[in-house]
Amino acid sequence: MNTLGIILKQTLEARNIKCLLRETDASEDHVCIDMDSFAETLQFIISGQLLGLIAMWAAEDFEDHSGFTLFYVFENHNVQELLVLEVKLPDKSAPSIALDFPIACYFEREIKDGFGIEFEGAFDKRRLFLHEAYPDSFHPLLKSFENQALDMKPEEQKGSEYIFKEVDGEGIYQIPVGPVHAGIIEPGHFRFGVMGETIFNLEIRHFYKHRGLEKLAENKKPSDCIAIAESISGDESAANAAAFAMSLEKINACTIPERACRLRTILLEMERIYSHLGDMAGMQVDVAYPFGASMLFILREEILRYNALFTGSRFLKGIIVPGGLSRDIETEKLKDFNRYLAGFKTRFKEAFKTACDSSWVIDRFDTTGIVKHELVSPLNLSGPIARASGAAIDTRRNHPYGTYDRVKFNLPSKNEGDVLARFLVKADEIKNSVNIIKEIIDNLPEGPVLSQCSDNDGHALTVVEAPRGQNLHWVYVKNGVIDRYKVRTASFCNWWAIEHAVLDNIVPDFPLINKSMNLSYAGNDL
Amino acid sequence: MNWNMILYIVLNTAFVFLFAPLLISLIKKVKALCQGRHGTPLLQTYFQLFKLFKKEIIYSDNSSFIQRISPYLNIAFLLVASIFVPIVFIPAQESGFGNIILFLYLMVCARFFMALSGLDAGSTFGGMGSSREMTIASIIEPTTLMACAAIAFILKTTDIPQMFGTVLNGSILQYLPLLLVACSLFIILIVETARVPVDNPETHLELTMVHEAMILEQSGPKLALMELSYGIKQLILMALLINIIFPWGLATDATVSGILISVASFIVKAVILAVAIGVFESFFAKIRFFRLPDFFIIAFFLSFATILFELLS
Repeated sequence: MNTLGIILKQTLEARNIKCLLRETDASEDHVCIDMDSFAETLQFIISGQLLGLIAMWAAEDFEDHSGFTLFYVFENHNVQELLVLEVKLPDKSAPSIALDFPIACYFEREIKDGFGIEFEGAFDKRRLFLHEAYPDSFHPLLKSFENQALDMKPEEQKGSEYIFKEVDGEGIYQIPVGPVHAGIIEPGHFRFGVMGETIFNLEIRHFYKHRGLEKLAENKKPSDCIAIAESISGDESAANAAAFAMSLEKINACTIPERACRLRTILLEMERIYSHLGDMAGMQVDVAYPFGASMLFILREEILRYNALFTGSRFLKGIIVPGGLSRDIETEKLKDFNRYLAGFKTRFKEAFKTACDSSWVIDRFDTTGIVKHELVSPLNLSGPIARASGAAIDTRRNHPYGTYDRVKFNLPSKNEGDVLARFLVKADEIKNSVNIIKEIIDNLPEGPVLSQCSDNDGHALTVVEAPRGQNLHWVYVKNGVIDRYKVRTASFCNWWAIEHAVLDNIVPDFPLINKSMNLSYAGNDL
Repeated sequence: MNWNMILYIVLNTAFVFLFAPLLISLIKKVKALCQGRHGTPLLQTYFQLFKLFKKEIIYSDNSSFIQRISPYLNIAFLLVASIFVPIVFIPAQESGFGNIILFLYLMVCARFFMALSGLDAGSTFGGMGSSREMTIASIIEPTTLMACAAIAFILKTTDIPQMFGTVLNGSILQYLPLLLVACSLFIILIVETARVPVDNPETHLELTMVHEAMILEQSGPKLALMELSYGIKQLILMALLINIIFPWGLATDATVSGILISVASFIVKAVILAVAIGVFESFFAKIRFFRLPDFFIIAFFLSFATILFELLS
């Protein structure tokens, strides 16, 4: 079923536009066009209003095209496959699409930093992940740039200054917060424009911990890069490893054993459980209700210990590999976990009730930090944030992978979009995950967990639902090594929701709003 | 000034100095136990202060003499205020000593200099903390005055040692409305010591801080002095609350056994109150900043009701 691709191809051909539908597996429709026909193609996509932009990246010397190729990924929540638009650039510039798809603004700035491609007509041309210390001519993702130490000549080589939006007026002032914080948390800079305690503008500037992961993966053997995928974000290691492994499995047309496939689902759901437990506890800590939080922290710790028991790693590292799992999990341990989950459910309900019974806690959560439903599509929000804002979307449901088309689970959804809605959605998701795990353990087949995969060249796109939302991985293997690895985590898009959610709230409520989304600094900044 | 008074000042101040850090750790311990954690040892605050006193002091380039002197002023004001609240024994009376209005204004002076030092370094959080502290102060102070007026009205004196003496010589049954004021004093104690639901003493979130934000720029021994003054403030407010509603055990003359019984009974009562505060704090979440007046109004109402009862009975 290549619905989207075929519709687009037929439409374009009817208008005499040359295009090519690439042969790929069922999960993506890959349409190649030239720069000349880009504007008209885009016009068709916009006018249909059925597709949202979910990712954008560039590659140098892709396949037989020497120069840059841009990739635009579009999604329709009711269609299983994603639409990838591949545009060959004749030179180092492309038209900006940020006015039609606002989230493209960040993708374009990211591409400009990495490759030096100019986007004409962009409304924001500031740098994104490169800070002032890097010279303007520095573009680390170019093939001509080798991974070496940069000769940083002081002063004269400094990049252009990053200008924040000016706010002024009587009684109006700015609060710069971070990148160094009072607690031990990751670095990020928040520039508030406030009137008394009320926030009327927030600008976020991140990317203080760029590790160059995409560059690091280049010229390495694909199987060696699973560790890179796992370290994208410490608490999304299973989701990212699974996405990377699935991309390679698609390239090599490799089917993994049924047991491995189901065990992966268990691991992914355990990750969701411990991540959401931490979020729900953190939200209570931030309103100074550690009594309620401690009950959830205890549950989280127990799940982490089961993680360690199953995989040897509290954060599920080192088990998911291309082709399946690196080791089997004994059925006896899983049975024991199944028994534990029965008690877990009751205790979780109790902890949840403790939070809900405190009118002081609920009062802080209710109506705080509303993310409007209208923002979900333009900003490409995903995960619990989107589901708490009235969008019943979930990659597991919209684009099923692994065993998700075979397990039953509800899709919690709330319309309020406030901190309370996110709290409730996360609580529901934990209950769903527990049910999924129980169902799988009850029907787990015996058998091997690893199948041999060949090492082919090619490229593949994978989307998975990490605890924070949709993560996207694209792997391009050329001559047996990775030529380009692109990751877009949910945090990259979801971070911008905070800029909108805090408006009209007061400064002391910001940490709570931030915690209710619990976005990853590292996952945002590869 | 006679020997009795000198002995009182020395003993009372020494006791306040030594006992104040213990109460800080004790409340933390109770909160930890409520959350199912072991918590830090009871002597942790002493270790902490000892460590801070050995550390280097760093001042911001933008700070003035205010930041340098405010820790001394802060602790000095609170130590003077502590003399007004007898804990070891009630000293022989001297006229004009122990006035509750003066006591309140000494506390306000300490707060004033703390807020100034918060603003002084020109950092964002210090200023934010000071502005919030002053907002809270302007709402809680009328309430505090109302509560003190109610006590003075019931006990027919504005002198704190005399107040304790009056309750001690009578029976609480004679002064039942005091229990109402005690509730509002408890709320005032929570507010003045920056505790949940008003402020969170354990937070690391600089954007939500009030008290902590003001001392964020202090370091080394100066920070130790600020922490110590916080402990002293907490102790004397607790002592005020305890000795007004339950002064039994407090000695009226300076005998060795009297002082020992005073100190021992006070420690028992203070520990009970500290446990109560820790438990109270554990079961509440921090209130929304702009809803704080809703919380203060309870204290205001209780004090006001007390005065009405006294007038009508």
